[in-house]
Amino acid sequence: MKSIVIPGDRINDGVSSNGAYVEDGKNYASVMGFYDEGGKRVVPLEGMWLPKIEDTVVGVVVNAGRNNSYTIDLNTFRTGVLLLGKYSRSTLKAGEMIEAIVDRINGKKEVILSRPRELRGGIAIKVKPTKIPRVLGKANTMANQIAELTKCDMVIGSNGIVWIRGGDTALAIEAIRRIEREAHLSGLTERIKEMLSVKGK
Amino acid sequence: MASKANRPKLIVDGKRLDGRAFDDLRPLKIIAGVLKNANGSAYLEQGNNKVLVGVYGPREVIPKRDSDPTKAVIRCRYQMAPFSSIEGHGRTGPNRRATEISKVIKEAFEGVVLLEEFPNNEIDVYIEILQSDGGTRAAGLTAASVALANAGIPMKDLVYAVSAGKVDDDVILDLNMIEDNYSDADMPTAMTHRNNDILLLQMDGEFTKEQFAKALGMITEAGKKISAVQRQALTDVYEREEKRTKTDEVTL
Repeated sequence: MKSIVIPGDRINDGVSSNGAYVEDGKNYASVMGFYDEGGKRVVPLEGMWLPKIEDTVVGVVVNAGRNNSYTIDLNTFRTGVLLLGKYSRSTLKAGEMIEAIVDRINGKKEVILSRPRELRGGIAIKVKPTKIPRVLGKANTMANQIAELTKCDMVIGSNGIVWIRGGDTALAIEAIRRIEREAHLSGLTERIKEMLSVKGK
Repeated sequence: MASKANRPKLIVDGKRLDGRAFDDLRPLKIIAGVLKNANGSAYLEQGNNKVLVGVYGPREVIPKRDSDPTKAVIRCRYQMAPFSSIEGHGRTGPNRRATEISKVIKEAFEGVVLLEEFPNNEIDVYIEILQSDGGTRAAGLTAASVALANAGIPMKDLVYAVSAGKVDDDVILDLNMIEDNYSDADMPTAMTHRNNDILLLQMDGEFTKEQFAKALGMITEAGKKISAVQRQALTDVYEREEKRTKTDEVTL
């Protein structure tokens, strides 16, 4: 059973997630979201991306420092840092777009990235970070479906940036925008599949 | 100048000038998520008051020296549009009054927003009064609370605000401009909706102890109605999409 909660709503005890807080031993929601009674968590409907280790992100290099260190704009309230080390052969320039994995978060609350891959060409769109799980789908089913039916290369960053290249880019964007709008409704994979197969021809 | 000497009759036959009873709110309407570029937004109409609020953040503090490494900073700007009022309010940019209201609204939200989650960041709240008819700081607070929730900023509770006042010996709720100008007391109050914690309480004029208790009672009673409208505004954002999807299906 899922229900919409707003800040201050009483929810069952034992909820441990970002969208809840405890007062006098009782749990309350702290953000606008869906309360998932089974999973005992609040799934936020709005808000920025909170970095988690092993998240895939898409970002833009904003500054190239010494010893192959780079500052990455991650579309959130924390800056990304990529340290390639001085013996690395590849170099990046400001303005380039990369895909990377969150390695750790350091004491200054910077997001340390690893395993970068340059993304050349293509276009990037911003999607609400809270809707990214729906764009990916369960076990990436939604993302695979879009990539398959539109023949695009896609990289979906948990931070709310989606990079698309090749194939029917316009259709892929349309599908993602629709997912973003209807993320809280059920039966979405079927609707998107129908839409893609009708318009894809 | 408004004074007791030239005061019009504010209460006629037990009713107020606009036909309300003493404890009636003006008609209240809130829409959330009206601005695309802001992280969160809300539009509010309360009688003739029209308020637009945009929320940005959390984001980097500029200039950096204003940041706090232990928690987020709230910045609030309350401003009246030059065309908002019959008086000169807002015509010449920020003034003493707007600065004060910005400060008290900021402090009200510092009591509910979970600031510790975003050290070194700021949350910006921009409150624009498009049309003013008394009680705009309360209307601005009510709208800003919806905008903050719409931005997904974690807070302990939603906030509602409304003013209570006094005409002769009668305590009245939600004063409009003319009542505000000529009343004997005016008390804008902001509270959390779950357990009525007071976040803002200002008072011009004087109340007796009994009148103060009565005013506070009226405000908490009205809070239930305001909270319901706020909740509806927030959930409506998602129900709008639901309706649109259903009509899509019909056309397919």
